[in-house]
Amino acid sequence: MRKGRIRLGRTGIILIAFTVTICLTGTGIYGSKGPSESAAQKRADIIRIDSMKTFGKLERPPVTFLHQKHTEALAKENKDCSACHLVENDRLVPKYMRLKDTAKQEVMDTYHLNCVACHKETADAGQKSGPVVCGECHKDKPDLVSIWQPIGMDKSLHYRHAKAQDQKCGRCHHQYNEVTKKLYYAEGKEATCRYCHKDITEENRISFQLASHLACIDCHRKTLAKFNDAGPISCDGCHDPVQQKLIEKLKDVPRLKCNQPDTVFVRTAKSGSQNSNPVSRMKLVPFNHKAHENYNDTCRVCHHANLNACVQCHTQQGTKEGNQVTLEASMHRLNINTSCLGCHDLSQRDPKCAGCHNRIARTRQQDPAACQACHMADVNRVAESMQHTAEKDLAAMMLDSRIPVAHTFAESDIPENVEIKTLSNQYGPVKMPHRKIVQTLFGNINDNQLVRYFHRDKNTLCQGCHHNSPTAKKPPSCASCHGRPFDEREPFKPGIKAAYHRQCMECHGAMGIEKPVATNCASCHQKKG
Amino acid sequence: MSITRRKFLGWLGAATAGTTLGKTAGAASNKHFSGYAKSMGVLFDNTRCIGCRKCEEGCNTVNQLPAPDRPFDDLSVLDTQRRTTAKEYTIVNRYDDTDAGHVKVLGPLFRKVQCNHCLEPACASACFVRAFTKTPKGAVIYDASVCVGCRYCMIACPFEIPTYEYDKALEPRIMKCTMCYPRIVKGLLPGCVQACPTEALTFGRRENLLKDARERILKFPDRYVDHIYGENEMGGTSWLYLSAVPFKKIGLREDLGVTPAPKLTSGALSAVPIVVGLWPVLLTGIYAMSKRKEKIANEETARAVADAVEQTNAAAAAKHAKEMEQVQKLKQKEIENAVKKALEAAARPKPEEASDTQPEEADQKPSEEDS
Repeated sequence: MRKGRIRLGRTGIILIAFTVTICLTGTGIYGSKGPSESAAQKRADIIRIDSMKTFGKLERPPVTFLHQKHTEALAKENKDCSACHLVENDRLVPKYMRLKDTAKQEVMDTYHLNCVACHKETADAGQKSGPVVCGECHKDKPDLVSIWQPIGMDKSLHYRHAKAQDQKCGRCHHQYNEVTKKLYYAEGKEATCRYCHKDITEENRISFQLASHLACIDCHRKTLAKFNDAGPISCDGCHDPVQQKLIEKLKDVPRLKCNQPDTVFVRTAKSGSQNSNPVSRMKLVPFNHKAHENYNDTCRVCHHANLNACVQCHTQQGTKEGNQVTLEASMHRLNINTSCLGCHDLSQRDPKCAGCHNRIARTRQQDPAACQACHMADVNRVAESMQHTAEKDLAAMMLDSRIPVAHTFAESDIPENVEIKTLSNQYGPVKMPHRKIVQTLFGNINDNQLVRYFHRDKNTLCQGCHHNSPTAKKPPSCASCHGRPFDEREPFKPGIKAAYHRQCMECHGAMGIEKPVATNCASCHQKKG
Repeated sequence: MSITRRKFLGWLGAATAGTTLGKTAGAASNKHFSGYAKSMGVLFDNTRCIGCRKCEEGCNTVNQLPAPDRPFDDLSVLDTQRRTTAKEYTIVNRYDDTDAGHVKVLGPLFRKVQCNHCLEPACASACFVRAFTKTPKGAVIYDASVCVGCRYCMIACPFEIPTYEYDKALEPRIMKCTMCYPRIVKGLLPGCVQACPTEALTFGRRENLLKDARERILKFPDRYVDHIYGENEMGGTSWLYLSAVPFKKIGLREDLGVTPAPKLTSGALSAVPIVVGLWPVLLTGIYAMSKRKEKIANEETARAVADAVEQTNAAAAAKHAKEMEQVQKLKQKEIENAVKKALEAAARPKPEEASDTQPEEADQKPSEEDS
């Protein structure tokens, strides 16, 4: 009898422990949701300290360090950067409390002793402090979400900096002399830091991250001390998306002088005169460099590796330095904004254009005559003419011969209202304000020279809706091609109902038009019966 | 009877070995079932769906389901996530988390929830009365007349689709989408497909829908996630999905794997006949054999004991007989001696009494030769 009672008691305790474990951990319960992601803290100042990597495989996870949190805490105690960073050659050393990495134990001690000591002190003083236990710093999966956004020089920022430095470019721009192993300023060769300083620190060249922080933050610090007004020195000031929006952006920035051409023919040969490349037989492309400078915020959108002409690396056959990208690909590849066609194509994603262009499959298969839109200049004729006319004038002439004026049909030829009554068993006919739509779209086109040029034929605009049919003043009705749905032989052609609905709804959606709401049937056609 | 540990382990080993000798059965067949040829399916494209709920209305009309609590044009029901119910074969859910990485998705996305008409349905596999049938047309249909209401199908379905008419006291049924089977055999469209204004639902042969979906992804690569949900999930479903965002963001589980549900249990189930058939026979046989062995062993022991006893008795008797003989001999000798003495004594004084004693000696000779 007693034995039985003991057994019962034991089973009971085990059952209770089991249930409690399941409830607390919540694992294995179907449909239970884990901790919500929004509980994670959003920070722009997360640094992962993995300096021990240089000494071999890490034994513990890298430490997640919040830089701004520390600068703010130290600022409250009137301490500045020198609390953690040593100064060498009048510049702050980015490493923590040391000039360089010496031996494994020393570096580890530097971190452990100094960090933990400071944390202990602060805690002893009765304030909120950081962790002192190993696992609290070396957290594998901290509950943080990084909202860090990169920042770079754009035309407006650069102009402001140049003005502040009295146009003394040598204050920031330098070159490196391999022989003397010294930095020097080379006038006329200024470019973005990124051309030399890459993602990681190499032998003799620090990473872009280090370089930018050293150069920018140091200068800001000194300026702040002298003039009380300078750029940001906190992480958030540059990298927090909200703060980034507060950075003043000048509208009219004077053109940056860099010996760049105004108008030029796109080079197809590495060296020699423009026309001397016998391999390329395509007509030359006149290029308005000056106008394109206004289309982008930085030069490095196109000049992604250096400021030279594309063909220096992207030859006709492709080279190693050009990553084997041929000249043709560098000019025409889609979905990338460093190529001509790619950038033009990406501009079609603008809501003003997306209504029609979202539905056109992005392929390069176009009418070969479309090439002529850019490839205008006969090589031999250019060669002849260049004997007595400067290249830039020739190019300018060719560019001017393009007439970037968009056309559409005369107003009287565009029906004002179109009644769509093909399907009307459940809903009444639709009265579509056709002319208003065409005129709105035409207004969108007229904004931009590129767009105007490509819509110079008056039929082009109509093809946005009146697609897959020959151009005409009176294009065929939708019902001439769209009939019953789900025809196996034509899987891509929707039936007439979906053709109408998708044509209108997808365009409205892509252009961000809020009225009429797609789910409000009555806003377009009245319900019957 | 008490059983020794060795015997028990021996039986266990024999039973297990016998089970593993058989071949495990594959579900349907041992090859991958990719659907009946020419079976139909539906492709849902959430970049086309506007969340108008006309599909719910169409389903309700065609299947003569009861009127809903809130009308179909009330889009505020989309504020909560719903599931299929006994009165709704299909519902539409709205998903506001449209973070697709680098591609910007405009507006919330929607998904239509209904039976996916798997190629190898878990519900059909779990049902022990064969209430579900996977038709060659592709639809998985339900026969209420044989259903016992155990609701194993509801547990088995990885998409949690079948619902039950708990509110009905008599003859409650399992309720789930039928792909409008009576309509599609007549060449009509399912109710939801018919009603959709934007052809977010495309009806056609499953193999053609897969080709169509692949072409859409090819033509508009930045519009879709490069995966057709339902192509292989749970062995393949007839209802396929294309999405602008990762599928788990629109409520479709991505952890289901590609093994069809019946195959998950076919291994264990195929062991049942062998267990039921083999184990009783095998174990009974072993039992019988060992029992018989014991019996024979017992018999032999008994016989050996009996033999031994007999031998011992015989030896004892022989010994006894020998000794008796010797005793007799001695006695005889004594008697002879006594007679001789008597004779001698008689011969000396009185010679006339000597002839009387001789016949008495002949009577006293032992005649038994006992064992």
